[in-house]
Amino acid sequence: MTPSPRPLSIPVILGTTRRGRMSAHAARFMVEQIEKRQGITTELLDITELPLPVNDAGDGIKDPASAEKMALADALVIVTPEYNHSFPGLLKHILDSCLKEYIHKAAGIVGVSAGPFGGVRAIQDFLPVIRELGLVNIFWDVNFGNVSSVFDDSGKLLDQAFGKRADKFINELVWMAKTLRHGRDNIALEN
Amino acid sequence: MANRKMICPKCGCEMNHHADKLTYSTEGVEGAKIDPSLGGLIEETHNCPGCGHIASRIAD
Repeated sequence: MTPSPRPLSIPVILGTTRRGRMSAHAARFMVEQIEKRQGITTELLDITELPLPVNDAGDGIKDPASAEKMALADALVIVTPEYNHSFPGLLKHILDSCLKEYIHKAAGIVGVSAGPFGGVRAIQDFLPVIRELGLVNIFWDVNFGNVSSVFDDSGKLLDQAFGKRADKFINELVWMAKTLRHGRDNIALEN
Repeated sequence: MANRKMICPKCGCEMNHHADKLTYSTEGVEGAKIDPSLGGLIEETHNCPGCGHIASRIAD
């Protein structure tokens, strides 16, 4: 495969608007881990900073600036808390505003929960949505269970094991992102 | 449909048609071309190998 001159773009979506959200610490941590890699650009996309009209949905609420970021992304890291065994409705509302921007791109989900399970139920709930959006989910997740013991109030990481877990997750995500970019760029759909 | 190449509006490269998405909604699509065997419209997705731009169109 010929290396592409464009750096990989892997934004991190912070998928909750709730005040006091601990997911913000997890999302910033993931951004920091990705920033350590050569040849990858990243940024935090906080859904509280996006226009979130609720008088329409889908294309009707598409924000051109964030849609352009999705279009240029090669992979998405989606950080989701678990609320009542699922992911936040506003996260889906935002994701539903795009479609072609996601197709044949990699996705990795980071689950966050106050309890011990690290958002696994939210992630399981999320997978059919990811598939329908045309994203390709990797088989590594990062699960921040008991999140108040993983980060302090300032967002400092207290459990260093998450460094290695994030590394493994990013390794797989980068592989998938490169593979899918090659496919999008070079492999035509059979007809 | 695959023979009609899209040209990237941003950099002028020939784009790669890499996906077809079946969509059941015809809202906002003029002269919607529903494929009766599939029950909906096919939206083609094209990617620019030069700059990464994405474009889509309803298949003929």
